Amino acid sequence: MASSSTAAPFRGNRGVGGIPAPLLSITSLCVSYGHIRALKGVSLEVNRGEIVVLIGANGAGKTTLLESVLGINAQVTGSVVFDGKSIRGRAADRNVRAGLCLVPEGRGVFASMSVLDNLLLGAHNNMRNVTAHLNRVYEWFPILRKRRDQVARTLSGGERQMLAIGRALMSAPRLIMVDEPSIGLAPIVVNDIFAILKKLNAEGYTILLSEQNAYKALQCAHRGYVMETGLVTLAGSSERLLNDPGVKAAYLGA
Amino acid sequence: MQVFIAQVINGLSTGSIYVLLVTGFNLLLLVAMIIHFSYPQVVVFSMYIAWLVMKYTGNSVVLGILAALGSSILLSLISAPLFQKVMKKRGEVDINTSMVLSMGIGMIITDVLSHAFNNGLPIAFPASLVGSAPVLRVGLISVTTGQVWSMGIGIVVVSLFFLLLYRTRAGRAFRAIAEDPSGARLVGIPLLRTGLYSYTLSGLLGGTIAVMFAMLLGYASPGLGEQVAHKVLAVSIIAGLGNLVGGLFVGLGLGILEALVQGYVSGSWSNAIAFVIMLIIILVKPKGLFGSKL
Repeated sequence: MASSSTAAPFRGNRGVGGIPAPLLSITSLCVSYGHIRALKGVSLEVNRGEIVVLIGANGAGKTTLLESVLGINAQVTGSVVFDGKSIRGRAADRNVRAGLCLVPEGRGVFASMSVLDNLLLGAHNNMRNVTAHLNRVYEWFPILRKRRDQVARTLSGGERQMLAIGRALMSAPRLIMVDEPSIGLAPIVVNDIFAILKKLNAEGYTILLSEQNAYKALQCAHRGYVMETGLVTLAGSSERLLNDPGVKAAYLGA
Repeated sequence: MQVFIAQVINGLSTGSIYVLLVTGFNLLLLVAMIIHFSYPQVVVFSMYIAWLVMKYTGNSVVLGILAALGSSILLSLISAPLFQKVMKKRGEVDINTSMVLSMGIGMIITDVLSHAFNNGLPIAFPASLVGSAPVLRVGLISVTTGQVWSMGIGIVVVSLFFLLLYRTRAGRAFRAIAEDPSGARLVGIPLLRTGLYSYTLSGLLGGTIAVMFAMLLGYASPGLGEQVAHKVLAVSIIAGLGNLVGGLFVGLGLGILEALVQGYVSGSWSNAIAFVIMLIIILVKPKGLFGSKL
């Protein structure tokens, strides 16, 4: 990102005193839908190269958080800083151009469009090097190359998730947000998807994940945040959360 | 048999105008998410502008065509912020409000046309634009240049439109919004800006239709838009709202149906009979012949 002048000389790479600044940092984020407050002051950080997971039940505000970061929701207060720049209230297409992307819950692929078209939609805001990105995605997911002319409706659940992830990769992202990747997938496929996310992370992609499947997600992530009714109630490394008695009781069924 | 062939040719040429009108209407419905009920009025308004420009430029066909295209695009783009404002006020996309706004626009256009132009009398286009000269005549069958142009332009424009829809970045975004607007937003497709492209495109389409209409009919009247608007709405509902391919078939079908009724029964009954048949279709298939895409 050869972006133009900003005040901080080490924008993006270093924070104050040479400590790496987080890629994404959210402070006191509040989001309301009309009178309903979906997020009531959430703060969290995602560092470069990390997998961070948001754990929480339905309605905890995980999807709202991810969509607000992407720039979908209007009534947002607090601060969202991505790569040293405040992006709160910025439109989603500009955020995608800047390197943010979201793999929506339930995959969100366009069922009546071909696999290739779905992938190209991911590059809508970043059409440079589209062939190179396409080839990378086909290397990651050879099955998508095989099925590129099929309409997405004919894909299996796991293939759709791969397509949704592949589409996200097409935007040349620096932070991939994945909303509930395991939902509605067979356990064996869930393992595949988490393995892919880990491999992507090993390649250098930073990932922010939301999951109800806490055990699998924590095994895959470096750190996690537990969300309840619009608040972060607990944060820590994956091992710590996996061993936390409260988390065990509420999310790990122990 | 000759009557049949003659009427099918007549039907195909009016049908191609219906097809383009329905295509523009559906495009706005799918991508801009409005029911632009009065889209045909915009087209007829552009016919009037073309007529006016030709009148003052010594019947220059080129300037007339440019005037039709320009005024249609301009009118379409001017209405865009109105529609978007109305839709935004209600929090989310509200197709019904757009219908009221569109009806208002249609009424204003009809009133302006019947007061400000030619004392409200129908306008006649100069012979340099109108194609009433026959290019082919075999017995009862006679094909005019206007018909040839209308069918030719229809085929070219529809092909270009589908090419754009299936082979370009903007077309891909159109289809994504048509299928799932909120999903498109999550991928980072700007709904309002892409919507503006669809206003521009439907404006361009509308200008083309205005020229075709002028060549085929040779005249225009203030009430023409309203008359056609009913048919366009009916065609799009019978094909299945938002179904572009369905619109092709039903648009041509209506053109042929009307022409056949005119040829075999009576010209003055063609509207009523065509609508009775369409009514029966909609009773049997409430979601349209080809299925609604909304």
